Amino acid sequence: MAIATTELKAQIIESLNLQDITPDQIEDDAPLFGAGLGLDSIDALELVVMLEKNYGIVIKDIEEGRPAFRSVRTLAEFIAARRSTS
Amino acid sequence: MSKLFITACSTATRADVATARLGNRFGRMDLASQLALLTVEPLAEQLRAIPGHRIAIVLAARVGSLPTDVEYWKGRHAVGGLSPTLFTYTLPSAAIGEIAIRHGLTGPNLCFVGDSKDVLSEAVELLQTDAADGCVCVYTHVVSPDLTAMISLPETAQAGAIFLQRNGPGLMELGENRRDMESLCANLRAPKLTK
Repeated sequence: MAIATTELKAQIIESLNLQDITPDQIEDDAPLFGAGLGLDSIDALELVVMLEKNYGIVIKDIEEGRPAFRSVRTLAEFIAARRSTS
Repeated sequence: MSKLFITACSTATRADVATARLGNRFGRMDLASQLALLTVEPLAEQLRAIPGHRIAIVLAARVGSLPTDVEYWKGRHAVGGLSPTLFTYTLPSAAIGEIAIRHGLTGPNLCFVGDSKDVLSEAVELLQTDAADGCVCVYTHVVSPDLTAMISLPETAQAGAIFLQRNGPGLMELGENRRDMESLCANLRAPKLTK
């Protein structure tokens, strides 16, 4: 089942305690790390926790999650794919 | 022994945190780091006048990272594990890192867990030995509701900062007998944080 990127953006903002950012300010394809949203390695770990908490998705190998964390769109696709196989 | 001067001073409380806007990373910090950042913010103009590698930071965290430690302990059975962000603030010196990052300060730093009575003396030592040209002196005092029963202290959230340097006169010359940082901050009528 697909997940709305707007919903996912709201969850990212909440789980990372991002201030002064609203979901509509985050582009679906903008990089989450580095130049885009400017997240860092601690945020990556926080997103891993959020995925387990909100979607029951466990990422045991960070290499597995790396492509998923490229953007909101890739993360939404990753969640949808993991849900369809579970 | 050269003369040293307090060139800037500030204080911050929980009320300041609620209205602060210091970038989108501010929200993930623990309260002590937020207070420390806020109280140093009005010192920014003085900090910019000295190269970052020549500015030291001395911090006294009255209860260390105890509020965050308790929060971390309480969340140890959380689904998905504990918050990695929370873990990073289970270090009393975390606020030094946040100050250093925001203001580009790479000089020496020192963290006390306890009251601030030795902060200014250590800052003087750093300046008199030429380890730095300026020193950001900070104290934080955070007692969360969870802690009040544990350590018999009233709930509070406050911080103060003083910038000490060789160039004066600034606000006042630092005298031999006036090294109680918290009373100095109170007496200097610290400027309120401006948004």
